[in-house]
Amino acid sequence: MSLFHFPRWTDVFRPLMGLAAIGAPVYLTVLFYYGASPKTLAVGFQPIQPVPFSHAVHAGDLGMDCRYCHSTVEDSAHAAVPTASTCMNCHERILPDSPKLLPVREAARNGEPLEWLRVHDLPDYVYFNHSAHLSKGVGCVECHGRVDRMDVVTQEQPLSMGWCLDCHRNPDERIRPKDEVTNMGWEPPAGEYRDEIGAELVQSYNIHPRQDCSTCHR
Amino acid sequence: MSKWGMVIDLAACTGCSSCTVACKSENNVPLSDPTDIEASRSFSWLQIMKIEEEGHGRARYLPRPCMHCDHPLCVLVCPVEATRLDKDGIVSQIYDRCIGCRYCTNNCPYTAKYFNWHTPVWPEEMMQGLNPDVSIRPKGVVEKCTFCHHRLQSVTDQAGAEKREIREGEFSPACKEVCPTQAIHFGDLEDPNSTVSKLAGTNRAFKELEDLGTEPKVIYLREDF
Repeated sequence: MSLFHFPRWTDVFRPLMGLAAIGAPVYLTVLFYYGASPKTLAVGFQPIQPVPFSHAVHAGDLGMDCRYCHSTVEDSAHAAVPTASTCMNCHERILPDSPKLLPVREAARNGEPLEWLRVHDLPDYVYFNHSAHLSKGVGCVECHGRVDRMDVVTQEQPLSMGWCLDCHRNPDERIRPKDEVTNMGWEPPAGEYRDEIGAELVQSYNIHPRQDCSTCHR
Repeated sequence: MSKWGMVIDLAACTGCSSCTVACKSENNVPLSDPTDIEASRSFSWLQIMKIEEEGHGRARYLPRPCMHCDHPLCVLVCPVEATRLDKDGIVSQIYDRCIGCRYCTNNCPYTAKYFNWHTPVWPEEMMQGLNPDVSIRPKGVVEKCTFCHHRLQSVTDQAGAEKREIREGEFSPACKEVCPTQAIHFGDLEDPNSTVSKLAGTNRAFKELEDLGTEPKVIYLREDF
């Protein structure tokens, strides 16, 4: 039996071998660096919730304040998800027979909580505090995006450590007046710049974002 | 900026161990089983050392938390910066960054660092009582006393929201709170009017292994002078 020899025409690929040897590590590095970054993995997460609740209708069209439902956000680390009875405050009268609201009515009747899926989920070793950010004038929209335009809530920001630190190192552009924190569409008054207003507020609110590891990890 | 420190009055300490228990329950410190204790792998962020001397009427007790040195030897050797000296003087331990090499455990002259040899377990009825503000350390990382810095975070957030500085006594670790003889004092060593800096200036004050130059921020008050 004679040995197998590559046919002569495969010699065309010979100069390409060097290119592949250089190209492969670069390709793999880029693939893993961008493919595994939180920007690629987490942004756009949009789970299907047990009730098709639309923030665009409630917070956008009806103009309800975020704090009507997420009532603990100003006082505690955790922004509470409302109980079914909070929903029933209005839905006792509005759309009382809607089939979409059936799980809510059942939850309100038997006291079993609705099993909402968490969209903005941080790892267990990160201790984030909502009240600390609201009391310093960081708006909801900075992390959660335009929730008032979302029919289904989507994660818009990567929520990675580097992304948190970007703002902790340079907070000027992210700070707004405290009474505008829940206003999703807030814009600086005409003729003024966001970072200039922010820089003033950082002074007056006495903001020194902490960057020690133990601030969030404990 | 503050520099947190602790003063322990050895004349008042009776060695009752309530600080050890309070620390364990506040910080989710795992319980050690007898085989661990035999292998000198028992856990206690705050240990009470019993010293018996001849010619001295009773045993002396030395409560030993992490000393939170100003020149911490553990920080020098950590290859991944999992242990750091924070701006407010607390030596913090970042569990998710720790690779479990145990250099810091070996380099600490006060043996204040503990390595997790197993995944921590608690009896079922104790699981409900774990502190949600402190993470549960996995197997293979080093942990130690943090001066209850999760309490400092909440106090700082509160003070920031109310636009004021932290008041004296507002932030205190669990061991200080429970001490029945008030042997443990805690406060800001940089504020000359605080109780701790006044006590630290008295001639009863000493630090453990002072000649190493680690500048510990846990200061003891001599029993007799």
